[in-house]
Amino acid sequence: MDNREKNFISAVVYVHNAEDRIGGFIKELIRFLEDNFENSEIICVNDFSSDSSADIIRGLSTEPNRMCISLVNMSYFHGLELAMKAGTDLSIGDFVLELDSTFMDYRPEAIMDVYTRVLEGFDIVSASPDRKEKFSSRIFYKVFDCFTPTNVMMQTETFRILSRRVINRVSNENKTVPYRKALYSTSGLKTDNIRYEVVKDKLKDMDADEKKYRTSLAIDSLILFTNLGYEFSKVMSLFMIFITVVVLVYTVVAFIISNPIEGWTSTILFLSVAFFGLFVILTIIIKYLQIIVELVFKRKNYSYDSIEKLTK
Amino acid sequence: MKTDRLIIGAGLYGLYAALYCAKQGYSVVVIECENAPFKRATYINQARVHQGYHYPRSISTALKSAGYFERFNADYSFCINREFEQIYATSSHFSWTDGQRFKEFCRAAGIPCEELYPGNYFKEGLCDGAFMTREYTYDAVILRDYFLSELNKYSKSVELKLGEMITGISRDADEFVVRTRSGLEYKSGFVLNATYASTNQISEMAGFEKFKIKYELCEIILCDVNEKMKNIGFTVMDGPFFSIMPFGKTGLHSLTSVTFTPHTTSYDAVPNFQCQKNKGGLCSGKHLANCNECSARPQTAFPYMRSLAEKYLLEDYKFEYKESLFSIKPILLSSEIDDSRPTVIRKCSDKPVFISVLSGKINTVYDLNEVLDNG
Repeated sequence: MDNREKNFISAVVYVHNAEDRIGGFIKELIRFLEDNFENSEIICVNDFSSDSSADIIRGLSTEPNRMCISLVNMSYFHGLELAMKAGTDLSIGDFVLELDSTFMDYRPEAIMDVYTRVLEGFDIVSASPDRKEKFSSRIFYKVFDCFTPTNVMMQTETFRILSRRVINRVSNENKTVPYRKALYSTSGLKTDNIRYEVVKDKLKDMDADEKKYRTSLAIDSLILFTNLGYEFSKVMSLFMIFITVVVLVYTVVAFIISNPIEGWTSTILFLSVAFFGLFVILTIIIKYLQIIVELVFKRKNYSYDSIEKLTK
Repeated sequence: MKTDRLIIGAGLYGLYAALYCAKQGYSVVVIECENAPFKRATYINQARVHQGYHYPRSISTALKSAGYFERFNADYSFCINREFEQIYATSSHFSWTDGQRFKEFCRAAGIPCEELYPGNYFKEGLCDGAFMTREYTYDAVILRDYFLSELNKYSKSVELKLGEMITGISRDADEFVVRTRSGLEYKSGFVLNATYASTNQISEMAGFEKFKIKYELCEIILCDVNEKMKNIGFTVMDGPFFSIMPFGKTGLHSLTSVTFTPHTTSYDAVPNFQCQKNKGGLCSGKHLANCNECSARPQTAFPYMRSLAEKYLLEDYKFEYKESLFSIKPILLSSEIDDSRPTVIRKCSDKPVFISVLSGKINTVYDLNEVLDNG
């Protein structure tokens, strides 16, 4: 009796200079998927690895019984987000398992826990390690959650399973995906997170390219997906406007009470008025920019969870 | 046994050549290892009568197919199914071409193509162009019966030798001598090797240069489709995509995909495959048996092809698995980059004549006329 899942699952794996672990990781993944699913595929997205990662993957072509492995080679270093989008676009499964890292610090069964959760009616279920988050990550997600309008809490994720619905919806709404997690969390579909037990210590699994990429991605995401930048600029501008008004008042008072040096009053008056105008203009420009960012990167349309037809 | 024209292989190219030569008054012998004609590639393929749409990166292949399209449809109209809409689409991602370029390509090749709205057929965002084209499908069984009845009219001069396995080919003065397992010897000053996937095996026996090809063990899936899809064929193109279109006049659709139709590939000069190991010599690099009737044929890739097609097609279009057909497809290595599918006719020897033909398209069969006329 075949108890394996009938649904088709596509695993998309991000590969960048991972020759020391990719072989074992993919073998483990093949074994796990073939044991649990009747139909599955693995899509390895090779993000311009300079080591032998791609050759190791090619060497595994005879490993699976039945499943199919594809290798997408990016033509230059794209970074996790765009590379994973390429993999998901190619995938054909009913469900897509996104593996952002080839370092498996969980038992493969954890994937099944996430999958079961998906079947319970969640379109996006992610898995996070139950260890303490890195300090920088904690700050990032704190700021992110604080300044985004949705109530989805984001955190460090190792892998996630998406339904085809999410992928279709996200690709309809946005042509460019600066940060997938943010898009998924604002897609309006049901989301959940599962914590898994960490069974291996975290090794260094990122090279310099990836680290640099992650830092710039963090800054871009904060600016694009939160109103952090706008809030900050608005407060600063208003504060500066307030100061120029104070200086203006002070100048007039000083002119009446004491007798300042000739030319001081007119100079300061001019400066105050000019700066006042400048800060007002800056506030308006920032507002415009914020609106443009909203239009380009954020939801272009309403987003709904489901449509229910009520019957008697 | 002596004959004017000896033809190896009773596929379309072989029988076409036999009939052509018979009409010119030659005596013809066709040697075929199967027990009936059209048992392999002529039957087991998409059954597409190409007009060139398939080759958006090779205008030369496109022009040639377009040129022969009308002629083939006129000559063999009885086996052509034209009662369906053939829709070509370009995928938004991972395609080597796009809607705009496909349109320009069709204009350059002079083939009709009318732009449609992709959302009418495909899921939102997956295709950036959809086009109504004019492409037909042929029914190999009807075509086979036609050739058999035509050849029957020349029963005095044409002999069809079925179930004959060639064991050796040698040259004797101005003749080739072809020996078979049944102990017969055929002698002729003109040999045409029209065996497609076995072409290099025959060339090897005769000691001629082989084609530079790789071999793919391919699966074509026949599907029952719902009413809505009955008269529509879809081809999402130029990349890791799929095609589901009527299969001749059978009422079934053929489902194929670039990624999943080939099961295994052999890069050797002759077709060597893992699955031959258990066949006790019945199938080997020396002699290829029929994959479609083989006990070692692979498990179907239908779940993969179905997922792929369903990813693109609107849910109104439904199809169900009926059966799989397997065969070996040789692919010229030189044609990988531009994806062209030239018909290659190679004259290996002049006196006596030995000609090898390799073509993956049904309607370029007329290319044979020239060598058959001139020898």
